[in-house]
Amino acid sequence: MNPFSTLENLIERPESLAGAERPEGLGRTGLLGYAAGTLGLFAFMRLSEAVPPGFLSFCVVLGFVLAANFFFAGVIHLFMSLTGEKGDAGRLFLAFGCADMFGALLVPLAFLARVGVLNGFLWLCACALLVLYARVRLVLRLYPVSANKAVLAVWLPYMAVGALFFAAMVYSIAWLVWLVI
Amino acid sequence: MEEQNNIPEQPAQPAQQQPAPLAAKPAGAALWLKIIAGLYAVSLVAAFVVIGKADVAKKSKPKVDLSEIAGISSAKNAVAVVPIYGAISQGSSNRSWERGSQQIAKRIKTLAAKKEVKAIVLDINSPGGSVGSVQEIYDAILRAKAETHKPFVARFGEVSASGGYYVASACDLIVAHPGTITGSIGVIFSVSNLEGLMKKVGVKTDAIKSGKFKDIGSMSREMTSEERKLLQDMIDDSYEQFVAAVSAGRRMPVEKVKELADGRIYTGRQASMNGLVDKLGDLQEALDAAGELAKIGKNPKVLTDSDPFESLFSLMDTKLSLFGSKALSEAVDASPSLEYRWYGH
Repeated sequence: MNPFSTLENLIERPESLAGAERPEGLGRTGLLGYAAGTLGLFAFMRLSEAVPPGFLSFCVVLGFVLAANFFFAGVIHLFMSLTGEKGDAGRLFLAFGCADMFGALLVPLAFLARVGVLNGFLWLCACALLVLYARVRLVLRLYPVSANKAVLAVWLPYMAVGALFFAAMVYSIAWLVWLVI
Repeated sequence: MEEQNNIPEQPAQPAQQQPAPLAAKPAGAALWLKIIAGLYAVSLVAAFVVIGKADVAKKSKPKVDLSEIAGISSAKNAVAVVPIYGAISQGSSNRSWERGSQQIAKRIKTLAAKKEVKAIVLDINSPGGSVGSVQEIYDAILRAKAETHKPFVARFGEVSASGGYYVASACDLIVAHPGTITGSIGVIFSVSNLEGLMKKVGVKTDAIKSGKFKDIGSMSREMTSEERKLLQDMIDDSYEQFVAAVSAGRRMPVEKVKELADGRIYTGRQASMNGLVDKLGDLQEALDAAGELAKIGKNPKVLTDSDPFESLFSLMDTKLSLFGSKALSEAVDASPSLEYRWYGH
């Protein structure tokens, strides 16, 4: 099954995501979604001159996106398992890849930002919110949970990373002060 | 939203209704997905064309020299200024920005090695410092002069006495303000005797030593005559080194230097009359003189060399020292040392 058919199937019959068997072609489509989304993000960042040019640079961004999503899907699944919900972490990771296809929107949005229609960062935030919304919908499809719990589950890893980053910053500053004194 | 909770019960239904969506497929989402994919491909191509053109335009643009924006001159012919402010010491810290004389010596070496630097001006405002650290800077200047044959000019600020003058004596030219305090050619070794105070507060120290001079300079007892003689010999030797340095640097007979080197201080004008200073003037005068010695003319470009990280840490350190820990530790550390230093400052 080609990725278009898989996507079409997912759009028209989203409940198949939680079916007894994994939807056909989900793996390929999920990874393609990550690649397409990352390419959009990479083009957006290149247009904003935020990343260096080259294939290697793209690979680094893709690697980062894959690693982050693997971690996020793992944390969400762990949270769901700990709270007694049944689901499939692999499917969640691949479904997130499908949601990442919205990252492709960043290419036209980068053009809009360049011609002065809203700020590039705002477009990036809008696109990130769209991806997060799609992820919440997918979590709702994959796990029998309420919308509030799905929102919490999706935001949880982001909050954890944010808290870790903040703690690391505070610790670094304290360490620097200790080092200098 | 609560309706989502019932979803797992639904999968059986689509299986029964499967033929209906399949029949509607050709006109459904697939067409839209293909259109979106096509648009995405077009926008990607357009994006990479724009990126490519921007990269080409960027490459053809002349590069902006960041050093110019930061005020660090990268002129081909420049005079470098090395500041030597405050008491000169080696520093007891392993922080690079606190290594005192070591850092100054390194800076002299680095700047002298730079092609664009044609002369170096030492901006001295110091009452001197410990013998070893003063000699470290002095040797760095002599080595740089021997290796690069670049002229060195010393410029005196408010005070440039004792060790400050020792350092300057290695330079080709000395410029001072008429009111600069300079001279104080000599050596000092101060030892405090806290014996009486320690008796009053009931503190007694015992020294187990391998030789009779091992605790020379101890603050807990009176100095013996043998120790005094030993220290005097050391001071005389250091004094001879100072006199020899001044004599060599100023091209002045040792006897004449000794006449001037009884520890007295001079104003810049008095020093000029006695041959200890070549020219009276300010920093600009010193820069002009350096430019002329280097044959690049008056009012040369000035280059200051500083490591941004060192500057940042040094700044943070200065700010944090306001808490007083450093000042306190320095005040408590009263161990005697041999110094080319004027204490009237």
